[in-house]
Amino acid sequence: LPGVIHHPLVSLQSSFKAKAFTEAFLKNSIQQPRRHDLQNMLSHKAVILGYGRPKKERRKSAKARGLNARQKRELKVFQINPEHQRYELFLPLHELWRQYIIDLCGGLKATSNPQVVQQKLLKADFHGAILTVVRSKCPSYVGTSGILVQEFKHVFKIITRDDKLKVIPKRNSVFAVEINGFVSHIYGSKFEYRASERAAKKFKLKGTIDL
Amino acid sequence: SPAHISNGSVSTVQVSVLLPECSSAPSHLDSVLNNFSSFYLIKKLPVYELLDRHFLETAVYHGAVFGLSYRTRIDEDNCVALMPNGHLTLSLDKDSFEILGFEGKPSRFKHRTATRFVVSVDLTDSSMAPGRRSYLRLLTSLKSRLQLQTDFLLSHHPVLCSLGGGASIQPLLSRCDWSQHRPEVNCRVLTNLPCPAPLSCDPHSFLEWLGAVDAGISCENSSSSFLSSFVCPEPNTMHRHALSVSVSGLLLPHDIHRLLQELRRYVEQPRLASWVSMTVRGFADSPVSCSNHEHGFLRGGENFYTLMMFHDHTYQLHLAMGAHDVCPP
Repeated sequence: LPGVIHHPLVSLQSSFKAKAFTEAFLKNSIQQPRRHDLQNMLSHKAVILGYGRPKKERRKSAKARGLNARQKRELKVFQINPEHQRYELFLPLHELWRQYIIDLCGGLKATSNPQVVQQKLLKADFHGAILTVVRSKCPSYVGTSGILVQEFKHVFKIITRDDKLKVIPKRNSVFAVEINGFVSHIYGSKFEYRASERAAKKFKLKGTIDL
Repeated sequence: SPAHISNGSVSTVQVSVLLPECSSAPSHLDSVLNNFSSFYLIKKLPVYELLDRHFLETAVYHGAVFGLSYRTRIDEDNCVALMPNGHLTLSLDKDSFEILGFEGKPSRFKHRTATRFVVSVDLTDSSMAPGRRSYLRLLTSLKSRLQLQTDFLLSHHPVLCSLGGGASIQPLLSRCDWSQHRPEVNCRVLTNLPCPAPLSCDPHSFLEWLGAVDAGISCENSSSSFLSSFVCPEPNTMHRHALSVSVSGLLLPHDIHRLLQELRRYVEQPRLASWVSMTVRGFADSPVSCSNHEHGFLRGGENFYTLMMFHDHTYQLHLAMGAHDVCPP
């Protein structure tokens, strides 16, 4: 729609004259498209402005999102510094773990049923346990023994007596865990779950337990 | 040369000699046959004793001992062999190998899944010297992880041992339950033996005939006997006598070598018969065959060789191996 043209010669006459003049001028100067009814288009149109409600402030979600894998690797949260890699430092952890297991199995007396103890161990957490590789398809792993520092889905990270951090794959190995005279053999191939997932896992007898 | 073969052969259990046209062994031969070294049978020897420092230094390093596990079947149980060249071979089933935790290779004779493993260690190598890492690892493995114990046949060369006599193995023996044995000598005189002419017939049939003579199977093929229809290969000559001697036990290579020299001297002298044969058989259950390769037992654990010596200094060698064996080059 053409805007109102301000002509320097137009002076303020009476409003009626001005209006008549304006209309006549507009009619002469602009194109009159037959389709559009200019009069109708210009009058009585309510213009709808933006629809706005008072906005609520979106709260920041209370729980932390956590780090994704890349951030974890960058921050190196799960890596232990060499100065912390000493066997003695982990012995208190082992003591804690022993207490935890003894509590879990309800005392671990000499008369406890091994089946019950084993069932409890399947769902227990092993961080801090002393693991020994008893049998393995790869001969060089056999005999390694140490305190479990980290348990991942497919490997155990243990620290041996000579302060070496060793990574032992779970597959094709049998680990022995010893508490108070109870020796439990764990077949690593069947244990390839994250510690958190394992707590909820039902273990079924499937296939052979041969390495 | 025959010397090379007999020095290579190690795990011998029996030597059979056939002397055609001979009714009694000449004195030299007789003395050699009766003077084979005696051997020891140790019950329940813990295998880590073979790694004993004193034993290694006085006996093994001089190539003077030779031992084999007794009554262990190569395809079922764990077998141990100690060769004069200082190689210790353990043939283990899968569970024992996995518990032992020492480097080894799967057996060549099984397909797909390995069920048998061979651990072969050269005790004379510097990495296996007492105190070194591999030596200690093998020692702890055999002592604490897999306590392997077998009945063991042990034989030692009296001259090669540094301390002379049995002094080098006495400490080892004193810790165990042992008994001494002499090789058994069997002499048979055969009469009216049809003998094929050695160079004229096919080697396989000749070998078969030799085996038949040794086993005492008659070559008559009479219609009343259904057990054997074996006949002596043509052309054959009838010998009036023949002497068949066999010595069984754990036999040392150097004794066999002496026998070989004696037989050569015998056959070189002009005689009625122009040939002599000697068959040396190895243990069916030994982890190592005549040619120091891996040996297995499929349907039969034969590993033997037959040496035919002729008057004109030529000889024929027949080597027989079972299905689970590696042929020497």
